[in-house]
Amino acid sequence: MTEGALGKTYSSGELIVRQGDEGNCMYVVQAGELEVVREEHDGNVRVALMNAGDIFGEMSIFERELRSATVRALGEARVLSVDKKTFLRRIQEDPPLAFNLVKIMSHRIRRLTEDLATLKAKTSPPAPRANGQERRSGRDRRHGGGRRSGVDRRASAAGRGRNA
Amino acid sequence: MSTLKTNAGADGCADSLVHPTQGNTPAPCTLGCAGGNDVRQWLGIVAQRTKLGLSDAQAYARAWGVIADTNPFPATLGRICPHPCETSCNREAKDGAVAINAMERFLGDWAIERHLPLRRLEGASGGASIGVVGAGPAGLSFAYQLARRGHRVAVYEQREHAGGMLHYGIPAFRLPKEILQAEIARIVALGVDLKLNVAVGRDVSVDELREQHDLLFLGIGAGNAARLGVPGEDGPGVVGGIEFLNAVNRGEGFETPSEVVVIGGGNTAIDAARAARRRGASVTLLYRRTREEMPAIASEVDEALAEGVSIEFLVAPTAIRRDAIGPNAVMVQRMTLGEPDESGRRRPVPVPGAPFAVPARLVIAAVSQTVDWGGLEPLESAVGKAQTENGAPDHHLWSGGDMLGLGIAGMAIAQGRHAAETVHAMLTGTEPPRAQRRAAAARDVAADFYPASPRAPLIERPVAERIAQPDLEVHETLSEQAFLQEADRCFSCGQCHGCQYCFMYCNGGGFVRIGQAEPGAYFALALERCLGCGKCIELCPTGYLSAAEAPN
Amino acid sequence: MSESLVQLLASEGINLPTEVVERGIEAYMLHMDVGSVRIRTPSEEKRIAGVFRGNGPRGSERSLRVGFDRYLLELAASSRVRVIRSLVTRVGWHEDRPEIEHGGGRRASYDLVALAAGVNSQLLQNGCEAAPAYTFPGTLTSFISEFHLGQAAIQASLGDAMHIFLLDLPRLEFAALIPKGDYVTLCVLGHDVDETVVDALLAAPEVRRCFPGGKVPQMACHCFPRLNVRPPAQPYADRLVWIGDCGVARLYKDGIGSAYRMAKAAARTVAFHGVSAKDFEAHYLPTCRTMNWDNTLARLVFMSTTLIQKLRPLRRGVLRMTSTEQANREKFDHMSSVLWDVFTGSAPYRDVLVRSCHPGFIASLTWNLVAGNAGALAGKRYGDGP
Repeated sequence: MTEGALGKTYSSGELIVRQGDEGNCMYVVQAGELEVVREEHDGNVRVALMNAGDIFGEMSIFERELRSATVRALGEARVLSVDKKTFLRRIQEDPPLAFNLVKIMSHRIRRLTEDLATLKAKTSPPAPRANGQERRSGRDRRHGGGRRSGVDRRASAAGRGRNA
Repeated sequence: MSTLKTNAGADGCADSLVHPTQGNTPAPCTLGCAGGNDVRQWLGIVAQRTKLGLSDAQAYARAWGVIADTNPFPATLGRICPHPCETSCNREAKDGAVAINAMERFLGDWAIERHLPLRRLEGASGGASIGVVGAGPAGLSFAYQLARRGHRVAVYEQREHAGGMLHYGIPAFRLPKEILQAEIARIVALGVDLKLNVAVGRDVSVDELREQHDLLFLGIGAGNAARLGVPGEDGPGVVGGIEFLNAVNRGEGFETPSEVVVIGGGNTAIDAARAARRRGASVTLLYRRTREEMPAIASEVDEALAEGVSIEFLVAPTAIRRDAIGPNAVMVQRMTLGEPDESGRRRPVPVPGAPFAVPARLVIAAVSQTVDWGGLEPLESAVGKAQTENGAPDHHLWSGGDMLGLGIAGMAIAQGRHAAETVHAMLTGTEPPRAQRRAAAARDVAADFYPASPRAPLIERPVAERIAQPDLEVHETLSEQAFLQEADRCFSCGQCHGCQYCFMYCNGGGFVRIGQAEPGAYFALALERCLGCGKCIELCPTGYLSAAEAPN
Repeated sequence: MSESLVQLLASEGINLPTEVVERGIEAYMLHMDVGSVRIRTPSEEKRIAGVFRGNGPRGSERSLRVGFDRYLLELAASSRVRVIRSLVTRVGWHEDRPEIEHGGGRRASYDLVALAAGVNSQLLQNGCEAAPAYTFPGTLTSFISEFHLGQAAIQASLGDAMHIFLLDLPRLEFAALIPKGDYVTLCVLGHDVDETVVDALLAAPEVRRCFPGGKVPQMACHCFPRLNVRPPAQPYADRLVWIGDCGVARLYKDGIGSAYRMAKAAARTVAFHGVSAKDFEAHYLPTCRTMNWDNTLARLVFMSTTLIQKLRPLRRGVLRMTSTEQANREKFDHMSSVLWDVFTGSAPYRDVLVRSCHPGFIASLTWNLVAGNAGALAGKRYGDGP
C-alpha cells in the first residue's frame, strides 16, 4: 500500500460491511481481494469474490434496507467509500452518472436469473433444453461455485476471465 | 522581486526568481559551414514563412538571398559541398540531420529557373579598379563581393570557361556545366568584366595588371597534379587526376583503355575513377589507408562502388611496370595502419612481403595538387608572405582558394569573401567586419518538442542509366514538397521560431509580440512584468531563452 | 483532487491509479496563531488525491511516474479521442464553422470547439475572435511553489495530511501545504499575491514549523497562476462552449471537480440537444447559474473565514470547538465538517452555509467562544498549542 493509494486499508479478515448493519455509502475496491459472505441460519456461504474496480454496497444508496451480506478482506485490501449523500446529489445534477451503476445492477440481475435457472434445474426434472445449463452448473461446482450470485458484483471482463 | 529573495534567502531559498534573456546562440549548422553561411537564417525563413506572412515564392527568394549574401553559388555547392553543416546538426541524433545541402540545391535551381539576379548592396560606394586572376570559386567570390559593393572588377581567366576547378575538376554527372555557368553569368551581370582566354604572363603582364588596377587578387588554384614519386611514373599512360578530369570536362574524345587504376582517396580520385568508369573502363582505385580515413565524401564512395569501381584499401604504389605499349601494371605494397600522424589519421606503414601487380593500361595519379605559377612567378614570394594575414604586406595583393592550401569550394568562396570585405573596408576607410567569435553552438534544444520526421532521401538515378549516359546527373533535386517537409524539420537551434509557448504561458504578460516578425524576433521581453517563474525558459524548445545572470 | 471528485470518478468506473496519485490524503491540519488542530476525514480514509498537473515540478519530469493531465489524455485517447499535440494560438471562424489555428499556422475547422484553455494562457485573454460576446473571466493572482523534501522527510513533518494556514497576514486569504510524492506544494490564495505576501507567509512560525528543522528549503519552482474568480460573460456561443477555468468555475476550491462537472454539462447538451447557442442556453447555462450562485454564497463563507483570521477571540472559539469535536472520534459534525468542506471543497458552499446556520452550530460556537476565551485567559491551551 503505497503513499499514492486512495481509500482505507483493511487487514486480512477485517470487515468492511456487516450483514444487517445500516448503510449510508457504497464501496469501490481499489486493491486486493474481498469476499462477500451471506450469513444463513445453517452457516456462512461465500457468494462472491471482488477485486480492484468492483463496486459493492450500492443497494443502500437507493433503498433504506440493511446490508444484505458481509464483506471482508482476503489479505490486505484497500477500499474507497462513496457517500450516499454526495452521490445522490450528483445524480440529481447529472443523471447519466447513475448509468454505470444501472449497468452493474442490470448485469447482476442477469446473473441472478441464470443462477436461479440453474438452481431450478437442479431441483426439478431436467427440461429438454436444460443441457447447457447443466454443463454450466457443473463447471461452477468444480470451481467451488463461489463467484456467481449477485451481491454487488461488477461486470468485469477480467473477473469473468479469472472465473473461467 | 527582491523580497522573495532576501527573506527566503535567510532560509536558503535564494535565487528562486528566474528572469529570461533572449540570446541568439549560433546554430551548429551555421558554425559548421566552411563558407560562413547563415544556414539557420535561410532555413528559418522557409520553415517560418507562414508566420512571417510570406508566400512560398517570397520565402524562397528571401532564403536564396540570404545564401547568396555569402555564397553566389547555391545550386553549385548544393551539389558538390561535403556539407559539414549537416555533420553538426542537432537533429542527427533524433532522426537524421536536416538535408541542408539538398535544400540549398533546391533553392539554387529555383533561382536559376526564375532568373533571379544578384543585387548590388544598397549604398554601394566603391569605385576602385580591382583585378582578379583566376575565375575559380575564390576569385569569383571576391569579384562578386566587390562588384556588389560598387567597385570595377576585371577577372582574367586563361582558359575558355570560368569556374576553375568547379568547371574543369568536377565531372558533369556531379555538377552540370549549365548550372555552374548560370550562376557565373549572374556575377558577370553585376558588371564584372570577365576576360576569358587571357593568360597572365602571355597575354598581359603582371606589371600591366599592377598598373591598371588598384589592387590584385590571385585565385589561381592548384592545377598541377602532384607526382607519385615511383619508378616508371614518367612517360605516356600516367596522368594526374586533375589532368584527366580536365580532359574529360573539355569533352576531348580521347581513348580510355580498358584497365584503369586510380591512385588516391580524395574527391578528385573518386571523380576520376567514376569518370573513367563511364568511359567503359574497368577501374580499380588504390588507397593506402582504410575507408574510414578516406577524405572523399562517403556517399560518393558508395556511388562509385555501386557503379562498379573496385577499391583496394591499404595498398601503396611502389612502381609502375611498363611494356612496349605503355604501363601494364601498378606494383603495390600491402600496408597497415600504425601510429597517428600530425593530421590525426593513422599513418600507413608497409607490411613485410613482396609487392604485387595490379593490371593497368592507364594510371591516374590523384594524390595531391600544387600551384601552377606559370606567368605569375614575380608574385610568388609576395603571396607566400600574404598567407598568414590573407592580404599582402603592401595591401595591394590578395589571394584565396586552393593556392593557399587544398580545401573545399565553400572554403575558397569564404576566403574570397573575407578578402573582399577587408579590401572594401580598407578602400572606403570603414571598419572591417570583425571575424565572428567562435561561440559555442546551441546544443540545449528540446528534441522531443519536434515531431518525428525522417530525413528526405536523396533521389539517385539508376546505375545503368548513369553508366550509359556519362553526363547524366547522379542525383535529382528535391521535390518542392520534400523541400518544405525538410524545412519543417529544422530545430532552429538557439533562435526563436515563433512557437509562441513563452507568450501563451506567461502569466505576467512578459512577452510582447513584434509587429514585423523575423526569424529570431517574434517577441520582445517586457521584463518589468516578469514574475520570475522561469516557465518560459523551461518551455522554449530552441534554447533561445535562458536564465539571465543575477543583476548583482 | 477533492474527496467528492475522487468518489464521483470512482462511481463512474474511473479509479485513479497509484502512479497518478502522488499521495492519498486523509486529514488536514488547520494552523492558526492560537494553535493547530488536526481534522480527520469523516471516515478516516484517504479520500483526497494529491496529483501533479502538467509535467509536475521543474526538474521532476524524469521521476514523475504519470501526471494527472497525461493520465486524462491517455484515458481520452483510449476512448478513441484523437489527441493532437500542438499549441492552439487562435480561435476564429471559417465559413460557417469555428476554426482553430495551431502549430504555427496550421488550420482546422470543426462542428464544435470546446475551449478549455484555462486562465493562464494568452489564448483567450483578449476575448475570442469567434465569439465577441465572450469576455475573459475575472482573475486573481495566486502563488504556487514546490519544495523537494523527499518522502521520508515529508512523512515525518507533514504526514498524510494537508496543512491549511489561517493567518492574520495582509492580503492573505489562506495558504496550504500539500504533500505530493517527493515534493510539497505550497498554495497561497489572497488578493494580488506577490513576493511580499509569500515572504511574510514563509517567515511565519506556523509555516516554518511544518518544514524539517523549522527551515524553509529552496523552491524547486514557483509560479503566480491566475484563478478564475468572476465568471465570463456568456461562456457559450453557436458551436462554441467554454469549460473549466476559462468558463464558469468554482471559487477557490475544487477547480478540477468543477471543471469536470461543467464539462459533463456541456457534453450532455451537445450529445442530447445540439451545439447552437440556444441549446447551450437551455441546457448548459442552468448548470453555470447554479455554480455562479454557489460562488456568491462562497463569498459569504470566505468572509467568515476572513473574520476568523482577523479576530483572535474568534480563532480561539473555532480552535476549541474543533479540537473538542475531534477528541470525540465517533462524531464529525458542526465545525469539523464545515471547515472540512470549506478547505477541501468537498461540498457545495450552500451546504456549508446551511450547516453553519444550524442552531446547534451557533449554540456550540457561542459556548466555545466563551469557554475558549475564558480558558485562554486562564492559560489553558486547546489543540496542538502554538
